[in-house]
Amino acid sequence: MAESQLRSANQVSGTRARRSSRREFGARAPLERLVSVGSPIVLLIAWEIAARLHWIDVRILPAPTVVVATIIDLFRNADLAGDTWATIERFLMGMAVGTIPGVFVGLTMGLFRWVGIVLNPIFALFYNVPRIALFPLVLILVGLNDTSNILMIALGPFFTMLITSMGAVMNVEPIYRDVARNFNARPRHLYLMVTLPAITPALMDGLRLSVGLGLLGTIAVEFLVADNGLGHLIWNSWQVLSLKQSMAGLVVAAVVGWFFYGSLALLERVVMPWQRRTTFV
Amino acid sequence: MTIVTIEQRSREAAMTRQREQPPKSGGILIRGLGKTFDGNQRVEALLAVDLAVRQGEFLCIVGPSGCGKTTLLRILAGLEQPTAGSVEFDIQRDDRPLQSMVFQEQSVFPWLTVLDNVAFGLTVRGVARREREKIARGYLTKLGLDHFARAYPRQLSGGMRQRVNLARAFANDPAILLMDEPLASLDEQTKMLVQEDLLRLWEGSSKTVIFITHSLDEAIVLGDRVAVMSHRPARIKVAYEISLPRPRNALELRNNPDFIVARAQVWDALREEVLSADAAIEPSHG
Repeated sequence: MAESQLRSANQVSGTRARRSSRREFGARAPLERLVSVGSPIVLLIAWEIAARLHWIDVRILPAPTVVVATIIDLFRNADLAGDTWATIERFLMGMAVGTIPGVFVGLTMGLFRWVGIVLNPIFALFYNVPRIALFPLVLILVGLNDTSNILMIALGPFFTMLITSMGAVMNVEPIYRDVARNFNARPRHLYLMVTLPAITPALMDGLRLSVGLGLLGTIAVEFLVADNGLGHLIWNSWQVLSLKQSMAGLVVAAVVGWFFYGSLALLERVVMPWQRRTTFV
Repeated sequence: MTIVTIEQRSREAAMTRQREQPPKSGGILIRGLGKTFDGNQRVEALLAVDLAVRQGEFLCIVGPSGCGKTTLLRILAGLEQPTAGSVEFDIQRDDRPLQSMVFQEQSVFPWLTVLDNVAFGLTVRGVARREREKIARGYLTKLGLDHFARAYPRQLSGGMRQRVNLARAFANDPAILLMDEPLASLDEQTKMLVQEDLLRLWEGSSKTVIFITHSLDEAIVLGDRVAVMSHRPARIKVAYEISLPRPRNALELRNNPDFIVARAQVWDALREEVLSADAAIEPSHG
């Protein structure tokens, strides 16, 4: 009892120590933060000045304020909101269709040696085909519709999560599997209570890569076949040489990307309450 | 609680007895158990281990490091297959699990709360949440971990984590507990406190325990019997009855004259094995 009381006291001082070390970091931070926020702003201002003074050709590179004005204009007078939503929808569908099976297959390949031995060469073969080159084949097999678009988007996240989770499973401390086996854990528990949480930190890294690949896939697919979405806007505007609009689409796509990438830090806190990891986004 | 008969006190007598009739609940009969690892190098870990473990007994196994103690335990735990011999467990068990293992090192799941860790075996067996949390909380209370039910293992000290480890195995309520040096990583003071917790949990439980350790003191403090394993390939060299009274106090016992006599006796047997193990290793080193 005495020991546990002592320990709880230690624990409190422990969290306090951790907090104060964070504060120390915070005390050093203002200048760093100022510079890290300031440097992109300085770049934007320089770009604005260069555009206004016509040092650069504004037909090719319109000023930031012009791009912002175009974005507002497109939201009001065209369907930029609809395009943005179409892109987000495709992206999220593709992520769901890619990451969830990717994690499941990767886990299974890592957990069961023979599944890995059988599937590994097959996936290695497909992984090394440039994915976008598969698009015509997918279009013929699945049809000229959003299903094939989503499948194409899903491929990048699928392989990323598959490779990440398979590798992570193999690096899980064997003692955790021994415990699961010794307690006669059924596959459901082996997957959900033991292996999945054990590899969550690696999965978060895989998700970070997947967000980038998923967005890349979404825009690429929209370039090629879609009749809406940010990719369609960017490509279409470029073809009619309206670089203002193309630029506006690009900026909105970037904001979408930042949003999802940033929300992973939040997700990380939610899915790994046992582990607070410092991440630098 | 079971009364251990005089016949069972001798290993040979116990074995002949158990050949005639099935061993009682929680008894184990190990016959000619062998294990050879076929890797790049053939390693004979176990060679004809014979051992009869009585029901409700606390049996400690000591031996030179790397002698195959853990291999023996892993075979009993169903984590390795033997290459020779047999293990007979008692078959009379209802819905209780046969055995649970308390592992060495950090085997507590870092991603589960203390409560969920302790209830792990029950969760896997499909015991309803309320029921399993009641059982798990009971063990946490016994071990003074009440306030840490919702904490994560990394927030605990090493001693507390090993208590969680013990509680996880006890809460699963197996007939046999297999312990693989569970206290080896703890400092001396904490080790003694956890030893007392372990004795307290076990003394009310009628469970059979096989406890592997490299510490003679620990083996004698805890065990009804201490078996000495030979160096590799291992067999059971000799087993000593430890007739110290129970309930035992880990600290007081160390000053008991009988403790000191038992310690000297077991050390004599172990010493030869440690020396011959060293002698066997030397040539390969130089």
